[in-house]
Amino acid sequence: MKKTLYCCLAGTLLLAALPLLLSQGLLNAAIQMLIAALFASAYNLLCGQAGMLSFGHAAYFGVGAFATVHAMNAIGGTGLLPTPLMPLAGAVGGLLFGGIAGWFATQRSGTYFAMITLAIAELVHSLAPHLKTIFGGEAGISTMRMPALGLNFGSTTQVYYLTLVWVVVAMALLYLYTRTPLGRLTLGLRENRHRLQFLGYNVHGLSTLVFAISAMFSGIAGGLQVLSNESANYVVFDPSLSAAAVLNTYIGGVQVFLGPAFGAALMTFFGYAISDLTRSWLLYQGILFVLVMMFMPTGLSGLIAIAARLCTRHGLGRVLPVFLLAVASVMLAASGLAFTIELLQRLFSQEYRSLLQTHPDAAWPAVMLLDQPWRPGSPLTWSVPALLLAASLWCYRLCRRRLQMLCVYDEQMAMTAPVTIQHGEDAA
Amino acid sequence: MNAPILSLHGLRKSFGATEIIRGIDLNVLAGERHAIIGPNGAGKSTLFHLISGQLAPSAGEIRFEGREIGGQSPQNINRRGLARSFQITNIFPRLSTYENVRLAVMRAQGSQYAFWRFIDRDQRIRAETERLLALVRLTPKADAMAGEMAYSEQRSLEIAMTLASDPRLILLDEPMAGMSHDETQYTAQLIREISAGRTLMIVEHDMDVVFSLSDRISVVVYGQVIATGTPEEIRGHAGVREAYLGDEATI
Repeated sequence: MKKTLYCCLAGTLLLAALPLLLSQGLLNAAIQMLIAALFASAYNLLCGQAGMLSFGHAAYFGVGAFATVHAMNAIGGTGLLPTPLMPLAGAVGGLLFGGIAGWFATQRSGTYFAMITLAIAELVHSLAPHLKTIFGGEAGISTMRMPALGLNFGSTTQVYYLTLVWVVVAMALLYLYTRTPLGRLTLGLRENRHRLQFLGYNVHGLSTLVFAISAMFSGIAGGLQVLSNESANYVVFDPSLSAAAVLNTYIGGVQVFLGPAFGAALMTFFGYAISDLTRSWLLYQGILFVLVMMFMPTGLSGLIAIAARLCTRHGLGRVLPVFLLAVASVMLAASGLAFTIELLQRLFSQEYRSLLQTHPDAAWPAVMLLDQPWRPGSPLTWSVPALLLAASLWCYRLCRRRLQMLCVYDEQMAMTAPVTIQHGEDAA
Repeated sequence: MNAPILSLHGLRKSFGATEIIRGIDLNVLAGERHAIIGPNGAGKSTLFHLISGQLAPSAGEIRFEGREIGGQSPQNINRRGLARSFQITNIFPRLSTYENVRLAVMRAQGSQYAFWRFIDRDQRIRAETERLLALVRLTPKADAMAGEMAYSEQRSLEIAMTLASDPRLILLDEPMAGMSHDETQYTAQLIREISAGRTLMIVEHDMDVVFSLSDRISVVVYGQVIATGTPEEIRGHAGVREAYLGDEATI
C-alpha cells in the first residue's frame, strides 16, 4: 500500500520534472498524453469498472470541450472563471449531458446500451456543424487563455503544469472513488445487475449516476484540451475519438486502475512519434489492438503483472533471459511486419501506380525505404522481412522452451519426493 | 393463529398460450416456516419470481403485509422487507465473498450511493458483513473469489446475502441443492435459526429437511396448490401421495 503510494509520488515528480528535460514539441505531446490518459481513465470507470461498453464517449469529451470554450469566452472574453479553474465548466457540461444521455442509454444493457451510446454520439456529431452559435460550425470556436493568479499561461510549460495538476487531481479522485460505497457498487453493476435489484438497489438510477460521473471526468479532459489548443471544433465529436478511447483502454488493460491511462499515453505518444514517419499509423494501431485482444486480453498492464509474477517466483536472474528473448522476438517481428507494410504501402501508393502507368513496359522501379532503394522484383528485398520474421520465430521458440524449463524446474523443487516416482514411470 | 403476512389471491401467470401458474390462493402466516413442494416444472420457481418482482402476474393479487406488491420492481419489494435467494446461484462471481456480502449489507445500512466516504472505514458495515460471513461459516473464505468457490459454499453465500437486508419474509429457492449431507444438516439448522422472528418460504426437494423444518407445507402441482397443511396432514393426504410423494419420496 505504502509502496504503491511512493511509486505514484515518484511518477508524479518525474512528470513534474519533464519540462526541464523535453523540447517544446515533446512537451506538447506530453500534454496530449496526459489528456488522453485522463480520458481513458474516465472511460474505464464506465467500461472496465461498471462493465458498460460505450462506443460514443467522444460526445462527453466534446461537450466538456465546448462548455469550457464558452466559459472562457463568456463576459466579453474575460471568462466565467479564472483560467486555471476552466475545466470545471467542462466537468459541469459533461456531468449534465452525461446525466441526460446516460438516463436513456442505461435503460438497456449490453449490446443495446452500446448501440444507444453510439447513436447519441452520432447524433451530436452530425448536429454540431449545423448549430453555429453553439459549436461554431465548420470553423469551430477559438478562445484565449486569460492571465490569472499572476500567471499569463502563455508558455507551453505553464500549460503543461496546469494540465498536470488537473490530471493528477482527477486521477486521484477517480482512484479514491473506487474505495467508496458507490465505487464498490459500480463493480457490482458489472458483475451482476440482476442480483443488485434483488438486494434493493435501483439499478437504472445507479447506472445513470455512474455514467454521469464518467462523463464528468471525460468533460474535464475535453476542457483541458481546449485550454491547451485555445480552440474547440466539432471534430472532437468524431467517432475516431470514441474508438481511440476504447482501443487505448483495452490496450492498456481494463482490470488495472492505471492500465487505461498507461495505454492511452503510450498510444498517443506513438501517434505523435510515428505519424510523421508513416502513412499507415491507423493500420498499426489496428494490428496492435487485434494482437492485444487475441494474445493478452488483460492488456499491457496484464502483461506487466505476469512478468512481475514470474520475477517473484523464479528470481530476476533466471527470468531475465526469458524476458530478453521475448523482447527480441517482439522487436524482430515488429520490424519484419513494419518493413512489409511500408513496402506494400509504397507499392500500392497513388504515386507509384501512376509511375507504372507512364512506363508500362519497364521493370517495376525501386522504392525508397530507410534511405535505401528496394527493387520489388528482387528476392533480396523480400528476404529481409522473411529473415526478420524467421529470427523472431526462433527467438520465440527459445523463449518458450526456457519458460517451460523454468516451470518444470520449479515443480521439481517444489516436490522433491515425487520426482523419483516420475522417473520410475518414465522408465517403465 | 397469526395474520397472514403474504396472501395470494387468484394468482395466474402465462407465457404466451402456456399457463404456468393457474390460479393460486395461498396465505403465508407471519412467523411460520412454509415450504412449497411439488414435482419439477410445477411452477414453484415461477411463483417465487412473481412474489419477488422478477415477473409480473398475468392476473390475481399478491399482498405483502396488506399491500399489493404484484408487478412492482424487485428493489421496491426488497425494500419493503422481502428478500429472496435464487435456485441458480446468483452472486457477483468475480468479487470476493466478503465484497459480495458487503454489497448486500451496504444497501441495508442506507449508504449505497455515498461517494464522500471510504467503505473500509465504515465500522457498522464491516461488523455486519463479518457477522453474516461467520453465520454461514464462510469467514475462512472471505477473500476467495466468489465464482471460484465450491457450489455449496456459493449456496451459503446466497443465504448470507439474502439475510443482509434483515427481511421480515425470506424466500429461499432450493438452498440445499448440491450440498453434502453434513452441509445440509448445518444449513437446515442455520435456516431454523435465522427464521426465528421472521417468516420463511422455502422451495426444497430434500423431504427430510422439508418435513422437519416446516410448520406448514403447500403442494404445488401443475400450477395449482392441491393441498396446504401441517407435515402430518400432508403426509396423510391421499391426493398428495398420488401426485407427488408416491414417486419422489421413496428416492
